[in-house]
Amino acid sequence: MKTWSEVAEVQPLASKIITNSIKKDRISHAYLLQGERGTGKEAIALLITKGLFCEHKQGIEPCQECNACKRIASGNHPDVHWIIPDGQSIKIEQIRNLQREFTYSGLESNKKVYIIKGADTLTLNAANRILKFLEEPSKQTIAIMLTENSQSIIPTIRSRCQVIDLQPLNPVLFEQQLTEQGMGGKDAILMGALTNNLDEAFLLNQDTRFATARSLVVQLIETFSDHPEDVFLFIHSRWVPHFKERNEQEQGLDLLLLACKDILYFHIGNEEAMVFFASDDTLLEKAAMSFSQEKLVDALNAILQAKRNLKQNVNPTLVIEQLTLQIQG
Amino acid sequence: MKFIIQRDQLIESVQDVMKAISSRTVIPILTGMKIEARQHGITLTGSDSDISIESYIPAEDNGIVNVEQIEEGNVVLHAKYFPDIVRKLPEKTVELEVDESLKVTIRSGKAEFNLNGQDAEEYPHLPKLQTDDSFEMPTDLLKSLIKQTVFAVSTMETRPILTGVHFKLENNTLNFTATDSHRLASREIPIKEGQSELPSVVVPGKSLNELNKILDDTEEMVEISVTNNQILFRTKHLNFLSRLLDGNYPETSRLIPDHSKTVIHVKTKELLSTIDRASLLAKEERNNVVRLTTKGDQLVEITSNSPEVGTVAEEVNVQSIEGEELKISFSSKYMIDALKAIEYEEVKIEFTGAMRPFIIRPANDDPITQLILPVRTY
Repeated sequence: MKTWSEVAEVQPLASKIITNSIKKDRISHAYLLQGERGTGKEAIALLITKGLFCEHKQGIEPCQECNACKRIASGNHPDVHWIIPDGQSIKIEQIRNLQREFTYSGLESNKKVYIIKGADTLTLNAANRILKFLEEPSKQTIAIMLTENSQSIIPTIRSRCQVIDLQPLNPVLFEQQLTEQGMGGKDAILMGALTNNLDEAFLLNQDTRFATARSLVVQLIETFSDHPEDVFLFIHSRWVPHFKERNEQEQGLDLLLLACKDILYFHIGNEEAMVFFASDDTLLEKAAMSFSQEKLVDALNAILQAKRNLKQNVNPTLVIEQLTLQIQG
Repeated sequence: MKFIIQRDQLIESVQDVMKAISSRTVIPILTGMKIEARQHGITLTGSDSDISIESYIPAEDNGIVNVEQIEEGNVVLHAKYFPDIVRKLPEKTVELEVDESLKVTIRSGKAEFNLNGQDAEEYPHLPKLQTDDSFEMPTDLLKSLIKQTVFAVSTMETRPILTGVHFKLENNTLNFTATDSHRLASREIPIKEGQSELPSVVVPGKSLNELNKILDDTEEMVEISVTNNQILFRTKHLNFLSRLLDGNYPETSRLIPDHSKTVIHVKTKELLSTIDRASLLAKEERNNVVRLTTKGDQLVEITSNSPEVGTVAEEVNVQSIEGEELKISFSSKYMIDALKAIEYEEVKIEFTGAMRPFIIRPANDDPITQLILPVRTY
């Protein structure tokens, strides 16, 4: 998504709102772009910024070729400031530096843009500090905040921004795109459920760690239905050693969630909706025998709770141990 | 791009430019140093976006050839490695060559380094400041102007505009003012007739401290020019650019009282060392407060009292005391800073009562003004 016309294909509403305000020269002083991964938040932020600095704008489209456009794309423009979470969150120190920066005049122009990635991770202190500054921007300052989790933005920030909702991508469309680019049908469906980003889908599909993760989930379900007494052993000998990083652990839980959902779909005969298993999988039948519908709903709830726990920095080994106990119930 | 350069010249320039480069910058390209080769010479640029330093090495200077075989071009080299490499090269000359894929080869004697360069197009464009809107002053004068004012800037970020020094050029006088709202330092100097008006600007104190370090104590002229965003100090081979602080500087001229009730003439050094001694016991909590009491017309007493530690009292002979009797308390730190900044033997202190700010000026009416707010004590 490099031009407004490309953005318009995916996000017709959002691009219309923004391009209209560019045309009428009424760009808001602060935007809050909220949407899931891969919905084009960064692309839109880049386009707004380029539109402000581009030297050879053609209508609303930035030229992408002038010096300013190139430097914005590479992150080297001195009047464009990116704030990226430092570890888990955006610290007050980063906001303090940003504020200090804004007491100075611009380096090349009088315009300044700051883009806050993952605005939901602003610590409460940092968020409060940015408030005044959002409300009373100095001349020609534009804030663009990007978030996947719009619920975590404190209301005082939200009320100071123009909120742009990006619609989730259509999974069917995405699967079609994946199959068009040569991914196998079954893989495409699974990837469609896991991510919204084309490049990431292909990367994931070729990743051996991900392949192992997939088979581990299958084996876990198998162990649950065949030898429930060995589950704990399996978790410690295979699962925990494999899922080391936080995002890997989250991915593992996502896969488990999809698998449990599929078993539930098998129960109620909604077999087209399955993403993890093929509908003729023998394991599916076996699993359906050992998990009742009620138990599956409990399991799904338990997995969601486990994901929340991970987000709150609970020890990952404890999380997965608790989860298996709950699923065995 | 290609050139052969005298290593000593290069080392000197690199060291100057390195002062502007910070390793903790958010803009990746600023970790590098820009090298620009033109037929007339080589320009090195370093920046941390607040300040930028350009150092120019002319191809030929007074008949001495510094740079030869120049092929024009630009490149950005990583500032973490380049200075060390240059410093440790074996021979007197250094050859630097850049190919189309921005691979940089540095040769000296038998040593050869290959570094990955970055595209100079990515580097921030420093404003080309016009020279007709500028004025000149000797380097040592500029340095003393900076020294006499910059210490008074605020270190608190709550009022960012006060972290800078206010420059104003009006009616051929240049005025520097700095204040942190408890004290104020200002100095005026005349500027030669015919030099233009300067938009009033506020230059960050941090930048001025850097500038003070870089400039040598010479009588060579510095040219100063200003645009909307930046101020440029230009010496013979060095350009120092700083960004300006955004906002309006508070009106300070009204703060300075125009009449006085008590005037004291005193030797700077004696008063300074007395207050310094008195402040030894005043260091705890109470903002370094010392008290000054007039005694007759030849004597003042400086006292300090911190109940947990003890008390100190010392009498100082003064040249003269005119006007009302006075008891006043003030921060010894501010007083010491102010007295140090006045580089004259004798000072005149003008008081307007115990609760009003007082002014310290050189006795010969040189336009240096140090203003301090007193402290309320009971």
